Amino acid sequence: MAQMTAPAAAPKAPAADPRPSLFQRFLHAREASTFLALVVLFALGTLIAPGFLGTNNFLTVGQQIAQIGIMAIGVTFVIINAEIDLSVGSIYGLGAVVAGLLMTSDVAWPLAALGGIAAGAVAGLLNGLMTVGFGIPSFIVTLGTLSVYRGVTLLLSGGSPISLSSSDPNVAEFNLLGQGKLFGLLPMQLVIFALVAALGAIVLSRSRYGFNTYAVGGSAEAARLCGINTARVKITAFTLSGTLAGLAGVLGLSFLSYVQGVTGTGMELVAISAVIIGGAALFGGSGTMLGTVIGVAFIGVLQNILNLRGISSFWQTVATGGVIVLAVAADNWLRRRSGRR
Amino acid sequence: MTSPATITASTTAAAVEVTGLSKHFGSVRALQDVTLSVPAGSLTAVMGENGAGKSTLMKILAGLDSPTTGTVRVDGDEVRRFDPANLLSRHRVALVPQELALAQDRTVAENIMLGVEPGSRPFPHRRRIDERAAELLDRLAVRLDPRRSVRDLDAATQQLVVIARSLAREARLMILDEPTSILSPAESERLFEVIHSLRADGVTMLYVSHRMPEVFALSQHIHVLRDGRHVGHWPTVEVSPDTVVAAMVGRELAAESARHDTPAPTATATPRLRTRGIRGTGFTDVDLDVAPGEVVGVAGLPDSGRIELLRGIFGADPISGGELQLDGRTFTAKTPRDAIDAQVAYLPGERRQQGILPTMSVADNVNILTLGRRQRFGLLRRRALRRDADKRARELRVKTSSTSQGITQLSGGNQQKALLARWLSIEPRLMLLDEPTRGVDVGAKAEIYRLFRSLADAGVAILVSSSDLPELLTISDRIVVMAAGRVVGVIPASEATEEKVMALATGAHTMKEKA
Repeated sequence: MAQMTAPAAAPKAPAADPRPSLFQRFLHAREASTFLALVVLFALGTLIAPGFLGTNNFLTVGQQIAQIGIMAIGVTFVIINAEIDLSVGSIYGLGAVVAGLLMTSDVAWPLAALGGIAAGAVAGLLNGLMTVGFGIPSFIVTLGTLSVYRGVTLLLSGGSPISLSSSDPNVAEFNLLGQGKLFGLLPMQLVIFALVAALGAIVLSRSRYGFNTYAVGGSAEAARLCGINTARVKITAFTLSGTLAGLAGVLGLSFLSYVQGVTGTGMELVAISAVIIGGAALFGGSGTMLGTVIGVAFIGVLQNILNLRGISSFWQTVATGGVIVLAVAADNWLRRRSGRR
Repeated sequence: MTSPATITASTTAAAVEVTGLSKHFGSVRALQDVTLSVPAGSLTAVMGENGAGKSTLMKILAGLDSPTTGTVRVDGDEVRRFDPANLLSRHRVALVPQELALAQDRTVAENIMLGVEPGSRPFPHRRRIDERAAELLDRLAVRLDPRRSVRDLDAATQQLVVIARSLAREARLMILDEPTSILSPAESERLFEVIHSLRADGVTMLYVSHRMPEVFALSQHIHVLRDGRHVGHWPTVEVSPDTVVAAMVGRELAAESARHDTPAPTATATPRLRTRGIRGTGFTDVDLDVAPGEVVGVAGLPDSGRIELLRGIFGADPISGGELQLDGRTFTAKTPRDAIDAQVAYLPGERRQQGILPTMSVADNVNILTLGRRQRFGLLRRRALRRDADKRARELRVKTSSTSQGITQLSGGNQQKALLARWLSIEPRLMLLDEPTRGVDVGAKAEIYRLFRSLADAGVAILVSSSDLPELLTISDRIVVMAAGRVVGVIPASEATEEKVMALATGAHTMKEKA
């Protein structure tokens, strides 16, 4: 029906649209504005930041964004569901502390890592159950659990930092997760991030669950009338978000061999920012994994450029916040220009 | 109808000249070189199918959108800045939209006088607000306490509040966008009286509607748009509805008779749906039989329980008692999933909130119920899904440039066809349809009616609830009338008239007594 070849047969159909050019299709893609911004930032970095252009620097950036990136993948599911998860920073800390305590109790490292991830999964599941069960906004639920999980983390750690001694072979193997390099080149964390992102992208765009996520986020009532179990879709998203935040926390512990009760504070805002910069709308129903990955890369590159220029981390915080507002404004503008609704 | 000549106020009413107006959205031409004029003091109707460009034209006239080319003059004064505030304050043009935007927790008076409160700015004078609002409501001959909270009003009364609000801003041209689409017949009558008051007050009106009878009863001029172009204009007294419809669809309509020529199926066969004494929120003690191949209409006022009945059968809301059978077997849908698994389809009346999945494409909207059939190793086969969607959209003649288009970019009629395509994908045994053609243009309506008939002929049982009586009379084999949650009458199609149905629906039975 689309490209009408016999207009005589249907005289009242409007002139068929010419097939959009590749460039037009690109402009219509949700990720377009973020990608353009990343390209601009890249050019800027090349011009003004000494040592920006180079494999080593890029791999460093990759290493730095991996943990935030993994969290952002989970948060993307939550946001497309028209929900929010403010507790992922606390869950990051929880996952790291649980794994740390297990490591210091001489539990074999794979089990310790799984323990940290499982703690995150349970925390996420609780977020989901409370949001759906109480029927209250997830903003409120996770604002609460942001504090609750942080408190639990502090209680577990007893307020004192946990350090892993690298002389322990169990710890040495565990450290490979966060510090290791695949083929002596690719940071293991970056590899894990890439795997998680690829998996997330497949689930979101190619699985029934992914379709249901967009449906529920776009209109929960319409989705329900299509027979979708909206409660399950949402709870799954929160559980995914918690699990990945727990995983990120375990990687953080593995990277630093050190964790304390306050570790991960504020990371939720960076993760959420990355998702928003990546083009997901807080109203739900839209957003892609590619967008989130670009959003994460954007934040990473921005911080890297500021680092290389020797600008203080306080300014970096200012810049990240400003970029969120600009990114959403630019996306909005681009969309209106291209007649996209 | 008052003759315009007798109205002295006509000198203050606004006349509109639209010249060469075009509006392009990307490659889509929503309006092309539209030229038309609206005489001062008249009620001028603009008709057209969905997607014909009516809404775009109204949006431009209200300042919600700006034209790509062309000019708009109000009383000779060219509109230079297309924003609602400018059109209202400078040109005195106001829109009464379909989606009413009122502050729900404020009073009627506060809503009417919002932004034009008497008294000094930061501290408006409450009593004078109420008085002024009461005055305006009086002028419209509307009896309503200005101190009531808007939340407590039904949609029809809220609409009158919006009209009074436009009057408070001294609008001289009002654009009424399908004002009766949300109203019951009685409510529509009340609106028509208000419209007469407005005309007597010297307000010019632009009236958008799909409903022929009201357009012919109210308007002096009729303009027709089709595919973004202005294709016809007549003084109302010189044109017949058939001519207007022909101009709207650009072809002759197959006569409306979509009804059965064969006698309705006999009741001896096992009915597809049988309910005995079912009750739920809003309805109680409902006995109903729908045979395979039968179209049963449910008529009643919006609060008669007919909407809730359909939702209950589908499992969207709980049923608290009674017995329900599908093809002779006990059937209770606890959730919509149960109903879908039993091949029961439900088209909700609130298309925008409950029907479409607004952020998804036409294809995804059509495929959402059958994703499970196109899975391999847990992954969806996208190409197969795309083919399914194309096929289904083609079968129902959904007008779209591509099924990967966002569903919200389609006109109302095409959205509805896409939703029907969605539900046909489960090969339904029973279809529950609520307001199946609300906001759908005549051409698409006729197609949808024919579709229902051919589905019924293929053995599908159809239960359709609608506030559009002519529609029910056209498509139903039998009409069940509900009032206050109960079935108050069943009329075979051969004996049904609008008067009979309305008499039952508003009957002495249980209705809150109204003078």
